[in-house]
Parts: sequence; structure tokens; C-alpha cells
Amino acid sequence: MEVNSRNIKLWSSIGPRAAFGLSTLELVKKYNDLMVLTCDVSTSAGLDRFRKQYPDNYIDLGIAEQNMIGVAAGLASEKFKVITTTFAPFQVMRCCEQIKVNLGYMKEKITMVGLASGLVLGNLGYTHCCVEDIGILRSIPNIKIISPSDSLETIKAIEASLNDEESCYIRLTGGTNNPIINKDDYKFEIGKSIVLEKGEDILFISSGAILSECLEASNQLRKKNINCSVVNMHTIKPIDESIINKYSAKAKLVVTVEEHNIIGGLGSAVSEVLSKKKNSPPLLVLGIGDKYSKSGSYKFLKEINRLTSEKIIEDVQKKINE
Amino acid sequence: MSNSLKYKKAFIEGLGVDDKIITDKLKYNDIPEWDSIGHMTLMSNLEEAFSITLETDDIVDFSSFKKGMDILGKYKISF
Amino acid sequence: MEQDQILKDIKNFSKDVRKIILRMSFKAGSASAHVGGALSMTDIIAVLFKYKMKNLNKDKERDRFILSKGHACLAYYSALNLIGKISNKELDTFEKDNSNLAGHPVKNIKLGIDFSNGSLGMGLSLGIGLSISSKKKKENFNVYVVLGDGECNEGSVWEAAMSAPKFKLNNLNVIIDKNNFQQTGKNFDIMNLNDLSNKWMSFGWDVEEIDGHDIVKLKNYFDKKKDSEKPKLLVANTIKGKGFSFTENNNDWHHAIVTEKLYNEAMKEIK
Repeated sequence: MEVNSRNIKLWSSIGPRAAFGLSTLELVKKYNDLMVLTCDVSTSAGLDRFRKQYPDNYIDLGIAEQNMIGVAAGLASEKFKVITTTFAPFQVMRCCEQIKVNLGYMKEKITMVGLASGLVLGNLGYTHCCVEDIGILRSIPNIKIISPSDSLETIKAIEASLNDEESCYIRLTGGTNNPIINKDDYKFEIGKSIVLEKGEDILFISSGAILSECLEASNQLRKKNINCSVVNMHTIKPIDESIINKYSAKAKLVVTVEEHNIIGGLGSAVSEVLSKKKNSPPLLVLGIGDKYSKSGSYKFLKEINRLTSEKIIEDVQKKINE
Repeated sequence: MSNSLKYKKAFIEGLGVDDKIITDKLKYNDIPEWDSIGHMTLMSNLEEAFSITLETDDIVDFSSFKKGMDILGKYKISF
Repeated sequence: MEQDQILKDIKNFSKDVRKIILRMSFKAGSASAHVGGALSMTDIIAVLFKYKMKNLNKDKERDRFILSKGHACLAYYSALNLIGKISNKELDTFEKDNSNLAGHPVKNIKLGIDFSNGSLGMGLSLGIGLSISSKKKKENFNVYVVLGDGECNEGSVWEAAMSAPKFKLNNLNVIIDKNNFQQTGKNFDIMNLNDLSNKWMSFGWDVEEIDGHDIVKLKNYFDKKKDSEKPKLLVANTIKGKGFSFTENNNDWHHAIVTEKLYNEAMKEIK
């Protein structure tokens, strides 16, 4: 898939799920031992073309996530490259123990793609949102966790995960017309965060679609003479400790922003790094405040959970003025 | 290149099909290539070809080759 | 080989497995062991490891075995010892600190243990993945999965059972060790499985039910050639703790300590 500005725009407009689906059509040509397993979500994952064009590489297990992981592990043990996918809450939580035993304990290598994580399906209620996945998976050894910031990063992350020696969970956030964070082609490496902006006052660390709100907040703060670094921490586990240490050294405040519970996710992972240091700046963890709100659109849920650039700026300024 | 030719070319490239497939009777989902993903590629091609940005409602309403021509009329593109 | 000799060999294998189960349990001491559920499946594992499973010492073409009812690992370790995969010295480390042989199987390809099991309800899904792989890669190996009857309480078993016929996995062989007990009592009292055979049959499996301690019947079952595309289920009616007077049908032996006294008694009985 050629990475050019036209395709980047296209992938952004179709959103990360459809971009994922499109990428599998190319990946199967490169890796003909690729198997894609789903739970009755082909159309939701952009996999309808894959299903029709590569039926021998596609298995639908029906709405049975525990079985999907076990079957995937059996295939992975015989050296197939395996991708499993369904909506994030079901991908991670319904079959959590199977993930622990097969991927964590037995180290059978699988790439799990969690569709529509975070708040994007908010109209459907919190059963179809996922603000717990990172926290849950961080506590299972031998599984990497990646939260791509846009559709291009989604495509890169999926291919990178197929070549990694460990299992990976790839958390898709955002929907159609997903803001473009990476405007040009770039080198993506699992575990190596990307510094998008440099500034001495505040260090923003974020990942996933919500990163775009951070970038906008940083822009607005710069106009008020508050200069921010913004780091795309696309890999939450293993977290890029060296970048956190380097950019927090001089910052007056570290702010993490995530479409996830403030307990257990990116903010918690960053706090674990900062707490090892002798001196570290204060940390403000922004995210879902350990509660399930009323349902609504993605935009509405970002507002009430204070994850828009305006609310982020308010909370940052409040913290600075404490 | 005339608008009609530009329009047809956008379909051929966007959907990845032969030009004989593109007739004015062609509708969304008539061919496997014009599925939801093909549709977005087509929209992207048309935007580039005519230097416009299509509104979401128009993208949704764009259900056939013929209908598309009416929609583009809104953007001052005549055939 | 003469049929009589084959049957004799399987019966001896089964006897040896029982002896090793008791010896390992005795040596585990206060760590205690899941004796009952291992003894109920001993004749099944004897027919599989001594007779039915092919190419056990090869890498790719070998038949695969999954002990989904992982707590019965004593039978599994014993069988692996008898076919030369696990040494006697290794067996003695059972349930000791830093051992490769834990109270449930832990994946160790060198020792012949392909998967980690013990959390019930997961083995059949693995078996399905393996069977699909065998067909795709045209490697033509068979897959044998042993489940417990109590294990069939788990919903994940039914997800797997529902899916196998879809893939026409006639190389997949499931055996349910139906000893009628689970940890704290009879299946009937805790969660009645009702007509287990019919349930699986309605899901599209080829199901037969036989005495799980009758070596002749077990051998004949595995000798049968079937034309169907269906995956196969054998519901083996067994006795929990089969083989020793003090363990048979006594659910205290689900997980218990074998004392020196009991061990000596057992060895006298099995002579």
C-alpha cells in the first residue's frame, strides 16, 4: 500500500477499522500463512472484501470469543500468522482468561485488534465502549499493547505486530474522518514513541485518536505562551521510559490524556515510570474518571469526560495554578 | 479533459474496473468493487479530480453514476 | 502384530500408568494430587498412547494430544514417561519447587507437553485450531482431546462443540471421561448434564458411548474407519478412581494425599 497524501486522506476518511480491513488485503499477499479470525464482525472491521477474496485465510467463529482465541492459539502453535478481531470489549474482556492462558502463559503469538475502543460507539451505550482494555491487558505478561493515533499508524502497527515475536493488542480508536496525525510516511517501531512537538513547560503524553485533542490543546496553550512537548506514546506496553525520562526532566507538569479509565491505563503506566525517579514533576492524569456516564455521541462523551482540547486546557491551567 | 471524461476516469480508477463497466446505469453495490470501501475511494478520487470537498450527506446520497452527476451540480460542476 | 498381544500390551501399559500415578502422588506428599480423575481416564490414555496415536516421536506428522481436563495430568505424565519423553528422574520432581511437572500441565515441547492446561473448558478450542491447521497444511495428523464431564459445565466447551462440525474436522477426536463426579460432588447434584451424548449429536458430532475401562471396546472404537466428515466424540463411561479399592467411586480422591500405608496397599492390589 503506497503511503502518499492521497491514500493518507482516504484512510483517514474511511476510519481505522476500514483501513485495517484494507491492509489485510495487502498483508495476505505478503504473508500467505496469514489467518484472520473474527466473531461475526466482517463488515464492522472492513473485512468483507477479505472474507470474499480470501476465504481460505478467513475464519468466522460466530459470536464466540473464547473459542476464537483458542482456535487462534491452535493455529499460532502451528506457525500460522494470526489476527483476531472483534469489538474491543469482547476482544479483551469476554475471552480474557483465554488471552491469559494462550497468549500470556503459553506465549502463542497472536495479533488481537480491538475495534472501536474508547468512546466512539457511545450512542450504543457503554457495553459497546471500552475504557478498561489497557488496564486489564497490562497485567498479563508477554503481550504488547499499541494504541495507534490515526489510520496510517493503524496500518503500520498491524504489520509491525505480525513481525514481532510477542503477541500484540492493537486498540483502534476514533471513527470515520479520523484526524490525521501523521501527514507523511514515517518509520514506525513498536516501543519507540514519537515526539510530535517540543516545548519546555508541559509534557503531554497521549495515544490513540484522542491525541488530536492534545495537539490542539498544545496549539492553544502556545498562544498563551505555555510551550508544550507532545509525545505520541503509541506503544503503552512496553512503554518508552527513556523518552518519558528525557522530556519530563525539565517539564513543570506532565499530563497524560487517554480515552480510558484513569485507573490502569496510559496515565498509570507513566506514573509507574515517574515514580522510579528521584525528582519528577507533578503528573495530571486525564481520562475517564472511573465511572460510566450516560450514553451519547463520541463528541458528547468527550465533552462530559473532559477530553476535548478546551476541557484539557481548563484542567491543565487549573493544575498549573494550584 | 472534459468533465464527463474526468468523471468517468474517477470511477475507473476509484473502483479499479474496466471502462466498459462504467455506464450511466451503474449503481452502488451493483458490482463488488463498489462496496463501502470502493465508495470512499471513489469519493476521494472525485474530490481530487474536481478540487472539491464533498459534504457527508452528499457522500451518503451518492448512490449511482447518474445521481452523482446531479450531486456534483451542487458544486458547480456541469456535464 | 497379533490382536491378543496388542490387547495385552495396552492392558500392561494401563497397569503401569496406574502404578506411576500412585507413586507420583505418594512422592508429592502433602502437596497432594488429583488422583481420582487421573485414574478414571487411565485406560483411555493407554489405548491412545500405546496403540492409537501415531508418530509420537516425530515432529510434524505426529498425532496431537490435549488434556483439556488438565488436573488429570498424572495420567498424562505417566504415559509420557512410558513412551520415553519424561524421564523417571523428572517424574520424581512432580509438584516440587521449580519443577517442569506442575499440578496441571505446563507447555514443554521437549517433554512432549504441547500445551498448558488446567483452566477448564479451553482444550477443545485449541484442538480445533490444530485440526484446521493439519488439514490446511495437508500434514494429516489426528488430534485427540480429553475432556471431563464436569468440565462440560463451561460455556466455552459448547462454543467449541458448536464450531467443530462447521469445519468438517473428521481428524478431531474428543473423548469425554464421564466419571459422573466433579470437585465437590456428583454432576447430577451440582449441575446435571442430562443427556450429554444427544447434546453433542445435535451439534453435529458423530457420537458413541462405551465403557471407558473396556480395553477391547476402546480398541475396537478407535479401529473403526468412518466415512463421515463429522468430528468424533466418544463418551467413555468411567469410574472415578478406577483401579484401587480405596479410590473407586470415592470423591474424596478428587484431590488427596497418598500416604505410605495407602501406597503400599495399592501396590499389593495392583500386582
